Amino acid sequence: MKADRQISERLIGLLPPRHRDPAATRVELDIAEISAMVGGLIRQGRPLPVVLTTLCQLFDATVKGYSSSVLLLDRTGARVRSVAGSGLPASYMKRLEGTAAAPGLKVHEVSPILSLTGEPLGIFAVYQREGNPDATRCHSALISQFIQVASAAIERMRSDEALKRSAALLERTQQLSSTCCFSWRVETDEISWSKELGQLFELDAAYVPMTLELIGARIHSEDLPSFREMIERARSGVSDFEFEHRLRLPDNSIKYLRVVAHGTRDQEGRLEYICAVQDVTHRRRTEEALVKLRSELARVAEIASLGVLTAAIAHEVNQPLAGIVTNASTCRRMLAVDPPDVEGARETARRTIRDAERASEVIKRLRALFCQKGATSESLDLNEAICEVVALSLSELERNKVIVRTELAGELPRVRGDRVQLQQVILNLFLNASDAMSGVDDRPRQLVIRTERDEKDRVRLSVRDTGVGFEPQGADRLFDAFYTTKSSGMGIGLSVSRSIIESHNGRLWATPNDGPGATFSFSIPYGPQDVTVGATGARSLGVIRTSGVTNAEKRRVGGL
Amino acid sequence: MVERPLVSVVDDDESVRESLPDLLRELGYSARAFSSADEFLASDCVAETRCLILDITMPGMSGPDLQQELTVRGQGIPIVFITAQADETVRPRSLEQGAVECLFKPFSDTALFEALNAAFE
Repeated sequence: MKADRQISERLIGLLPPRHRDPAATRVELDIAEISAMVGGLIRQGRPLPVVLTTLCQLFDATVKGYSSSVLLLDRTGARVRSVAGSGLPASYMKRLEGTAAAPGLKVHEVSPILSLTGEPLGIFAVYQREGNPDATRCHSALISQFIQVASAAIERMRSDEALKRSAALLERTQQLSSTCCFSWRVETDEISWSKELGQLFELDAAYVPMTLELIGARIHSEDLPSFREMIERARSGVSDFEFEHRLRLPDNSIKYLRVVAHGTRDQEGRLEYICAVQDVTHRRRTEEALVKLRSELARVAEIASLGVLTAAIAHEVNQPLAGIVTNASTCRRMLAVDPPDVEGARETARRTIRDAERASEVIKRLRALFCQKGATSESLDLNEAICEVVALSLSELERNKVIVRTELAGELPRVRGDRVQLQQVILNLFLNASDAMSGVDDRPRQLVIRTERDEKDRVRLSVRDTGVGFEPQGADRLFDAFYTTKSSGMGIGLSVSRSIIESHNGRLWATPNDGPGATFSFSIPYGPQDVTVGATGARSLGVIRTSGVTNAEKRRVGGL
Repeated sequence: MVERPLVSVVDDDESVRESLPDLLRELGYSARAFSSADEFLASDCVAETRCLILDITMPGMSGPDLQQELTVRGQGIPIVFITAQADETVRPRSLEQGAVECLFKPFSDTALFEALNAAFE
């Protein structure tokens, strides 16, 4: 290890320069031996105070008539953490901090123990014992050699400690985040991996050398082509990559893994990837369950809105049917009189045909709706889509005495998305607004539908009502499934609407009005992007398409 | 010539306004059509109208609103409601509130004739 090398280099440098200093010849123990002994204690894993006390004992044995001590500082260098020493009274050791020397001891030299970078690690103190006739001379050079051994020992212990801590932290982090690591040397295909990864792959890391083939054998056959392609891309030297794939384990169970790799090159330019592998099975399963739940919700929402739509369809069809029956009755009566009113009969027959055509137009619109397969992404004019929904829901809104005002922006950029899904959201907002106003009698029940360009690349629709509104703190709950303030509602419309808008990369939100009521808005981006419209609300009975209807027809159908 | 009693039609649906007066004339009444309650109230036909064929769902003032307004004004005209809403609860509610009849579109000439006879009883 690098730290080992550094320390041994430093210890070699500590060899006493005997040939230069005659005093050093009196040293009974070679400083190199002292270093080796201290190093041995460290390798045995002895605690730092024990190591330092031994060092002090060695000092005392080397220099007669002196005692030494080490005051170890904490990492801040501001506080004494522990005291190591030899030949000093225990009571004195305990009270060492800043006190005067004990009786019979004279402070000889006090020096800081510094790290390689010059940070204070501790204090090395040497005391002269009074009245020792055999006292040798104590050279500063010798003291500084001991200090260097002490410094090396403290630093080595500290780096060991830090390494252990970071290894423990890494292991704990890996456990917490269900992440494992491996590295892959591209040139040799050599793979080193953690034992957790072995557990994930259900391979015994101790016995099996990991290879790409072995990994490949565990990968779900459907994901194998993309896995191989990814390996080839990695070989060509992309710096970072990430991908997701499934594992098929021996018991046929499936795991979802997410791999994040970071490419590095050593001094010779050889490529190595450090990869983190995360088991995301639980998350995927949850997402799958969520998607399923959402589509079930959407289905329920469809059924719930079916009642409203059936009424709307019946209304649309019954109007022209009434014309047909009335005209045909009149026609028959005109022909039954004597003389028959042929001109009048011809006119009523013409009207009968026209009303029948109108009824057939409604049916065509219905068919267009039922033929809608899955979610589609088309370029559409939001204003136009809104007008169609207004036309369809107007009878329902009028029945609820709602006054509709539209403030549609001219020159609104076209958006991409699923027309029927978006119209389902719009219809839902209209009906919610209408419901919110159903109990309002002291003010007009007004519904303002507004479109505008939103922040740079978005268009916004807001639906403002004068209904009961909501408490500001309830704004988030509004979009929760099964949250409802209505006695007859199921509370899924807004939740489904929000997921539809989110699948269009948009946002749906609600704000209370300054006055009575609430405003629901969504904004979706315009531009050439493609949206991935999910299963949510797909094939919904959202809104009858009225694309083939003329303006005059729209006016009559919807009063627009 | 005998004065034919006036039957007024108030409906926002154009094809009804077009077809119904002709049928009413065939049935022996004189007929006028209006596209909204306001238009009817503003006309000079209110006092003269012997029977009102009234659409329930209209923008602005609805059929029942007009019924209430006429009651307030003391002009008790017999009313036959017509509606394209397929809501079965509408009929009993209308009859309870004093309507002669409530017809669901599309209705036959016989049903209309019977409703008018009831109105003129």
